[in-house]
Amino acid sequence: MTTFSDMETVSDVETVPQDLLIVLRHPPHGSQWLREGLDVALVAAAFGQRVGLLFQGDGVYALLKDQQAGALGQKGTHPQMAMLEMYDIDMLWVSETALAERELSADDLMLPMVPLNAEAVAELFARHPRTLIF
Amino acid sequence: MATTTARTLLVEGQPIALDPEGYLVSLDDWSESVAEALAADDGRELTPAHWEVIAVLRDFYQRFEAAPAMRPLVKAVKQSLGEEKGSSIYLMQLFPESPAKVGARLAGLPKPTNCL
Amino acid sequence: MLLHLLNRSPQSLSVYRELGEAFGADDHLLLIEDACYAALPSASAALEPFGGRVSVLAEDLASRGLAERVSPAIAVVDMNGFLSLTESHQRCVSWF
Repeated sequence: MTTFSDMETVSDVETVPQDLLIVLRHPPHGSQWLREGLDVALVAAAFGQRVGLLFQGDGVYALLKDQQAGALGQKGTHPQMAMLEMYDIDMLWVSETALAERELSADDLMLPMVPLNAEAVAELFARHPRTLIF
Repeated sequence: MATTTARTLLVEGQPIALDPEGYLVSLDDWSESVAEALAADDGRELTPAHWEVIAVLRDFYQRFEAAPAMRPLVKAVKQSLGEEKGSSIYLMQLFPESPAKVGARLAGLPKPTNCL
Repeated sequence: MLLHLLNRSPQSLSVYRELGEAFGADDHLLLIEDACYAALPSASAALEPFGGRVSVLAEDLASRGLAERVSPAIAVVDMNGFLSLTESHQRCVSWF
C-alpha cells in the first residue's frame, strides 16, 4: 500500500499558483455542489484559464474508485473527474487531513493527487487571488 | 432535460427529430446515414477525414459522457489521429464555424456545454 | 417504533446530534444518499448513539463506490429491504 508519507515532499513546483483555484468540499451524488464546481473548472479551462483543484472535507469522496451512476441512472461525477486531464487540469491537490480522517490512502483514489498538510493548504489559499468554493 | 423537437429530418424513411439547434433529440437515433443526412442538410459532404474525427468524438462521449469543447477535442484528436491532425486549424478546415459544435451535432452528441 | 431516514454525511455534525436526541429505544436508522459515508469504518463514532440499530441502502453505496468499504457492523439493505423497514415501523421520519 502506498501512503502519502512515502511520496516525495511537496515542492514549490507542485503548488505553483494557477489562474483560478476551485475548492471542492461536497461528496458526489447527494447534491449538485461537486458537479457545479467541476463544471466551472471545465468551462474556465476551455477558455484557456489554468485551473487548480483542491479537494477538502467530504470533497475527497469525489476521488474514490468504483463510483457508478445512480440506481435510476443519474449521472455521477466520475466521468467529469476522468475528463479533467483532457482539459489540461492537472494541478490536483487534496487535504491530507481530510484523507486521514476518512482513512483513505493514494490506492483508494482514481487520480494521482498532491497531498497538502494544513500549512500548505493555507499557503495555497494565500497564493491564489481568485478562489471559488463549492 | 426536456428537449423540444423543432423539426424532423427524413432518413431512410424514418423521421429523425432535431432540436432547435439541429442536435438529435434522441441520441440513440444516430447512425452513419443520419450523420450523412445532417451533413447534407448543412450543405456539407463527409469525407474519410470527417469520419475519423466523428469517431474520435463518439469515443470521447463514450468515455466521459460529455461532448468536448474545442481544447479537449484538439487533444483527443491529437491522441487518436496524431500530432498533425490535432490542431485547431485542421479541425476548422474540416468543420468550419465551430468544430466542437458542428462535430458534436454530426456525431450525434449533445451540444457541448463547456463552450460558447 | 420509528424508522429514521438520514441523508447527510457525518460532516454535518448537528443533524447527527439532533437525530441522536430523538432516537427512541426501539427505533431504527436507515442511512441513504450522503449518509452512506457514515457506514464506513472510519466514521463509526458518528453512529455510536444508535446502538447498532442501523442499516444502509445498497444502491446509494454502489453509486458512491462504497459497496466494498462498508463496515461489517452495518446491515446493507436494497430497495425491497427499505420497503420492508417502512412496513415494520409505525412511521418514517426524515433527517436532512
